[in-house]
Amino acid sequence: MKKCSCSFGKKLGKFLLKFCGIFVALNAVIFVIFFFDLDGKLLFNVVEPFLKKHYDNMERRDVLKEPYDLNKFPVYKYDD
Amino acid sequence: MAKKKLTKTLKDFWNGKPHSGEEGGRRLGDLYEDKTGLLKHREWRGVKDTFYYMYNIWGYNYVHMVLDILKFSNNPIDFIKGTWRYRWMGQTYLPVIHWFERGLQGVRGEALRASAWHYRAMVSASIHQICNFFNADTRLHGGKENDAYRHTIFANETTCGTLFYPWKDAGYQYLPMEMIPYFVTCHVNSHTVLNYIDAVQSIGLPGDPCPMCQAESGLFVLDDVPDSAPIIITCNEACDASVSTHTLQDWFANKPLFALPIPMQFDDPLLKKYCMNEIEEMWKFIEEQTGVPFSWESMKKYLERQNKLQRDEWEKWEVASKTDFYPINGVAQALFRIYSTQYGIQGDFWEEASEKVKKIMYKCVEKKINPFPQTRHRVIAWSCAPLYYSNWCTWAYNCWGLNTIINMDSLMFDMEIRTDSYENMLEDMATYHMWAPMRRMAVGGMHHIFELWDYMKRFNCDMVAMYDQLQCKGMQGVHGLFEDEFRKRNINAFWIPHALPDSRTVSRAEIRRQINDYMTTVMHEEPLDPSLLDFDDSMTW
Repeated sequence: MKKCSCSFGKKLGKFLLKFCGIFVALNAVIFVIFFFDLDGKLLFNVVEPFLKKHYDNMERRDVLKEPYDLNKFPVYKYDD
Repeated sequence: MAKKKLTKTLKDFWNGKPHSGEEGGRRLGDLYEDKTGLLKHREWRGVKDTFYYMYNIWGYNYVHMVLDILKFSNNPIDFIKGTWRYRWMGQTYLPVIHWFERGLQGVRGEALRASAWHYRAMVSASIHQICNFFNADTRLHGGKENDAYRHTIFANETTCGTLFYPWKDAGYQYLPMEMIPYFVTCHVNSHTVLNYIDAVQSIGLPGDPCPMCQAESGLFVLDDVPDSAPIIITCNEACDASVSTHTLQDWFANKPLFALPIPMQFDDPLLKKYCMNEIEEMWKFIEEQTGVPFSWESMKKYLERQNKLQRDEWEKWEVASKTDFYPINGVAQALFRIYSTQYGIQGDFWEEASEKVKKIMYKCVEKKINPFPQTRHRVIAWSCAPLYYSNWCTWAYNCWGLNTIINMDSLMFDMEIRTDSYENMLEDMATYHMWAPMRRMAVGGMHHIFELWDYMKRFNCDMVAMYDQLQCKGMQGVHGLFEDEFRKRNINAFWIPHALPDSRTVSRAEIRRQINDYMTTVMHEEPLDPSLLDFDDSMTW
C-alpha cells in the first residue's frame, strides 16, 4: 500500500494522536480524582475549615438590638 | 487453584464484587476513613457501573451544577457573593456530590441510574432556590430593591408552593425561607445547622423544643436569611414550638407578614371551612401587597402539572407495591417526594426526573430486573426521619438487606387537587395545606398516624422502621401506643431514635447499633456485609 506523503495527512495524524493522548491523560486524571475521593478530601480538609473560619469571624448585625415594633404594620384581616 | 483465583479476580473486576460476605463480599465498611466518613477510595462497582457513576453521575452533576447556576442566576457573580456571605451556602453545598455518594453507596445497575435522577432533580431545585435568593437579595446589591426582589414572596417552608401558583405566570417567585438554609443543608452537610441551633439557645431559648424550630429561628438570630422579598407568609408548621419561630421571624424580618396557620384539629368539616377562609385571606394579602390579582388560569395550569406528577408517582407506587422491580432506593424515594410536593412545580426538574425514572422502571418490569436482589425484608419507614442520616436506609440495605420500599414522607400528600371549579380547588387546597409535612401522619391525630397499617399492607411490607424524634412532644405521646399495636398485630418493628437535624443527640453509630441489635437479637439474622456493622463516622458531613 502506498504511504501518504502529503503534509496534511501527517499533520492530521499527529493532531489525532495528540488529541487521543490528551483525552486519555485527562480521563486518567479525572478517574484518579474520582476514585480516590480527592474532591471530597479537598473540600473536607481545606475548603470547609477555611470557609468556617471566615463565617465564624464575620461581622453580623445584632438583631436583638432591633425593637420589635408590633404596630408598624396593620393587622391583615379580610374576613370582616 | 491459581486459575480459579484469576477468574474470580477478573469477574470481580468486570462485575464488581458480590454483595454478601458469603460470596467473597465487597466489604463497603473498609472503604471509610476513620471518623470523617470520607472514602479511602470509591467502591469499584464493576467496569460498567463504575464508569457510569464517574461520567453520568459524579461528572455529569458537577458540570450541571455549574450549568444550573448559569441558567437560574441573573448574574453568576451574585452566586459567588452569596457563597461568601452565607454560611448555609458555602459550608453546605460544596460537598453536594458526597451527598450522592452516601445515598447511592453499594447501589448498582438500574437502581443506581434511577435513584441518581431523583438526586439530580433535588440539586437542580436547590440551585433554583439559591439563585432566586441571590438574584433578589438586597445585601448583595448594595441595599437596592431590584425587580427580582419586588417579584419574590417569602414563605415558611411548610407553607406549600402550591398556594402561590396564581401569581406564577405574573412572574412572582415563591421562596421558602428555610428549605435551603435549613432543611436541605441537614442532608448535605449536617455540621452547618448546629450553628443555628446553638445561636437561638444562646439568646436564652430552652434547648428542649423541636430542633427544627430552633434552627429556623437561629437563622434569623445569626442574621443569615437573605433579604430577598418585601413580604412574608408564615405558618405554625402544625407545632407549638413553631409558633415561637414565627414570632421571632416577625421581629427580625420586620416586613408585612401574614400568618397562615395549619389547624391543629383538621378532620372537622367546620375547621376545613375556616382553613379555606384563611387561605383566601392570604391570597387577598398577596393581591393587596403586589397589586396583582389572583389568576385562575395560572393556578389551573400549574395544578394540572402537579396532578400529573402525582399520577406518575401512583404509577410508580403500583410497581413498588406489587413487584420487586422498583428501581428507587429508600432515601432517593423519600427526599424526592417530600421536596417535590412541598416546593411544587417551580421548574421542569421534577417532571423530567420522573419521566426518566419511569422509563428505567418499565425497563426493569419488562426485563424482570430486580434492582435490589439482596432484599430480605420490605420495610416501611414511618414518622419523621433523621435529616442528618436520611441515608440510613442505604446502609440498612447494604448491611442487612432491609429494603425501604416506602415512607411517610412520600405518602403525606397522597392526593390530586381538583381543577374543575374554584370551589373544589379551594376545598382540596385546604386539605393539601392541612396535610403539611410532619402533620398528617406525625402529630395529626390517631386516625392518620395509624394509617401505617393500611400502607404496610398496600406496599406489601413485612417490617416497620419507626422513627422516634426525641424532641417532638406530639410523637413522644404516642410511642407506647405504637409499641402496643406492634405487639398486638405481631409486626416486626425497630425504632430509630434521633433529634431531626441535630446529630449530637443520637449519633449515626447509635442508630446503626440499635438496628444491629434488633436484627441479631430479635430476628436472629446474620449481616450481609459485616464490615458495615460498626464504624466511626462521627465527624462526617
